[in-house]
Amino acid sequence: MSMIRLTHWAAAAVIALPVLAPALAETHMTIAVKADRYSVKEDRFTFTTRRPAAQVAETAVRPDSNFNPSPLLFKAWSYEDGVYMVTLQDGVTFSDGTPFNADTAIASLKLYDQNRSDFLQLDQESFAKLGEYEISFRSEVDSALVIENMTHRGTSLFLPTEAMAENPIGTGPYILESYDPKVQITVARNPDYWGPAPSVDKMTFRFIGDDNARLLALQNGEVDIVGEVTPQMMLSMPQDGSVVLHQSRPIRYAALMFNMQGNAPYDIAANDLNVRKALALAIDRDTLAQVLYGGFGQPSTTILPGWMFDLGDNHAVGFGYEPDEAAALLEASGWTMGSDGVREKEGRKLSLRMVAAYPNVSTVKPMPEMLEQMFAAIGVGIEIVEVEDSGVYNSTYFEPGEADLFLEFASNNNTDPTYLLYNVFTTMSPWGYAVTSPGGNVDELAKASRVAGSREEVVDLVREAYRSIVDDHVSTIPILTVPNFSLSRPGVSVTMSEYADWIDYGNVSLGQ
Amino acid sequence: MLRFLLIRMAVTLPTLLGMSFVAFAIVAIAPGDPVVMELRAMGVVPKPEDIAAIKAEYGLDRPFFVRYLDWLGHAVQLDFGVSVATGRSVAEEIALYLPATLALSLSALVGAISISLALGILAVTAGPVTAQGTRALTILLVSVPPFWLALLLIHAFVLNLGWARLVGDGSVSDLILPALTLSLGAGAALGRFVYERVTAERCEDYVRLAIAKGLGPMQILLGHIAPRIIGPLATAWANTLGGLLGGAVIVESIFGWPGLGQLILQAIGQRDFPLIQGYLVFMGLIFFATSLLADIVVILSDPQLRRRLSRD
Repeated sequence: MSMIRLTHWAAAAVIALPVLAPALAETHMTIAVKADRYSVKEDRFTFTTRRPAAQVAETAVRPDSNFNPSPLLFKAWSYEDGVYMVTLQDGVTFSDGTPFNADTAIASLKLYDQNRSDFLQLDQESFAKLGEYEISFRSEVDSALVIENMTHRGTSLFLPTEAMAENPIGTGPYILESYDPKVQITVARNPDYWGPAPSVDKMTFRFIGDDNARLLALQNGEVDIVGEVTPQMMLSMPQDGSVVLHQSRPIRYAALMFNMQGNAPYDIAANDLNVRKALALAIDRDTLAQVLYGGFGQPSTTILPGWMFDLGDNHAVGFGYEPDEAAALLEASGWTMGSDGVREKEGRKLSLRMVAAYPNVSTVKPMPEMLEQMFAAIGVGIEIVEVEDSGVYNSTYFEPGEADLFLEFASNNNTDPTYLLYNVFTTMSPWGYAVTSPGGNVDELAKASRVAGSREEVVDLVREAYRSIVDDHVSTIPILTVPNFSLSRPGVSVTMSEYADWIDYGNVSLGQ
Repeated sequence: MLRFLLIRMAVTLPTLLGMSFVAFAIVAIAPGDPVVMELRAMGVVPKPEDIAAIKAEYGLDRPFFVRYLDWLGHAVQLDFGVSVATGRSVAEEIALYLPATLALSLSALVGAISISLALGILAVTAGPVTAQGTRALTILLVSVPPFWLALLLIHAFVLNLGWARLVGDGSVSDLILPALTLSLGAGAALGRFVYERVTAERCEDYVRLAIAKGLGPMQILLGHIAPRIIGPLATAWANTLGGLLGGAVIVESIFGWPGLGQLILQAIGQRDFPLIQGYLVFMGLIFFATSLLADIVVILSDPQLRRRLSRD
């Protein structure tokens, strides 16, 4: 090569260097999240199995777009006569090079038996290696929904090691680089990842507890994304384009639940279906949707969104805004308008206590006050009790049934269609929801759904139970469904998931 | 002196014991079952045996006083148990947060002392207009809520001027704004105290004598008044430090400063009762230590007290 050509190459390299450098530079993204919720305790291990850094280990299956389980570390599976037969993904290795096969898969699955968060409830004696990549096992409670529950990040599969709390080894797209408890956690791309490589090289999750501080840190360019967005943050979000909102499909629900126990003095609604229907008809959901959650909530006639489990948008008829019809129902029940604007019957005022809210009132503000006005318009007096703490909400008001109405903001984060129904809407609820559950046919449908033979049959029973709750018993009034949100600086594109643990931060596109 | 210290510590023991009981009882009677909350937070549908096992693990199945005595026995060895939320020991948890809070509180104290001396002395020595202005500024700073001051400083120095970061990486430069937020209010309160003490001392005979001897104002202030007021000032500083250590919750939260304030907020939300109890006792010990330190400074700065304690 001549000297002149060499000089040209050198000059071209010098000119191209600034252009190429950004393309070759390591991509490092910082995400602000609320709190460090990891436990490193052996029997309660949640380290890196939950958001934000649920990138180190992977689950057996992942939720698809309709919240049905789809392959990840399990390639295929079947369930027959109480036995799960599984074909594992081949060509997978843990980040330390150990192959993922029948032996290591069984060892990983067995880890969950020693964990208090063992909701897989696998029969530890039933594991069998059928081939290099084939295993079988049983549920210790004969559940047909074990695979569904394996979409929960808490069931991520780790290689059993002594140093799991310091250096968890998984098969995920990232490996743990550093963990500064309560301050930040950093994960770096796993160079030997078996699947498609993520686009971001390194991710740091900063724990910033204060909502405003997270938003201000984004505005100040100290973080690229805010991963946990509260309604208050949406209210104070600048509208000048400096902050970009990303949203999933609606997943969370805001709903009013009636005390169905029928114990005085909180027995009016429980004993009068017309009162419950009247309140359902008095809610102007469109107005609430415009005011709350930055206008991104959707008026809802069903508790769960229709896309979930293929329930269908109209799986319950629900109620629209019909204040005249609401007033007529109350009249029909003998509740006549009093001189103070509150209806009464046989000397008793139609005044109800409403407790807002689970998990805290900040998540639904100013819905309680707006509902109070809407109910006042049909002659129903409301005493609002605002509670900011879920412990107080449960112990002081919900469990003892010390109110007529309970406002809740929650979601179904599990691909098991029976999970929310059974735990929140039946008298068998282990979380105390017998207070607001109608019992009867809903309990029977929920029980039947848990032992149904096929997923289609499960979903049919669940659909019918939710329809009955909303349309027949009116024990719960759906109000809004609300998406998951994240915020970013301009130029960043986040692929959202309804399931917050499954937001794929590793594949966001980073603009400059 | 040693005898004084021993008596002082002995007198404090019943206080600490009472404080430990209050700390334990407050958490024990607070609404919200930590066991059920923990299981629900993990997404676990609890079986009665799960709840019973965890209650037994934390001793919640035993009578209140048995639990208290058992807890107290461990607490005197500085063993406050294991955090329900993280699985780390309470001592480890506090140790994780303490350096950040110490750094913030000590910086804020240094700032507060500097501001208070400047404001107090200016109010005493300046002309009537400046003195009135200084006193008005002091009242304003005392009255402004810390969260509002914090937001004002963030708006000015972080968002508009870009001179500081909001959350940063915990470096010294990131300490300036939260420390300034805390020290402005505390400094103004201490400044009023400095002003009142100096004003009171100026009426004393020894000051008149010094003036008659022809000493200048600064000589009188530093050579005669300062030794007389250092004892009460030290007590005020110690109380301020205790307040800063325990009371910086809002400022820590706004600036995302990973201190004890964040720890206790999160612990209360999660009903992490071993951590809350350990924190309350720890803060009690901090107040005890700072007030003891103040007492020692008072003794060392007062020749009469020193002589009396020597005689005793």
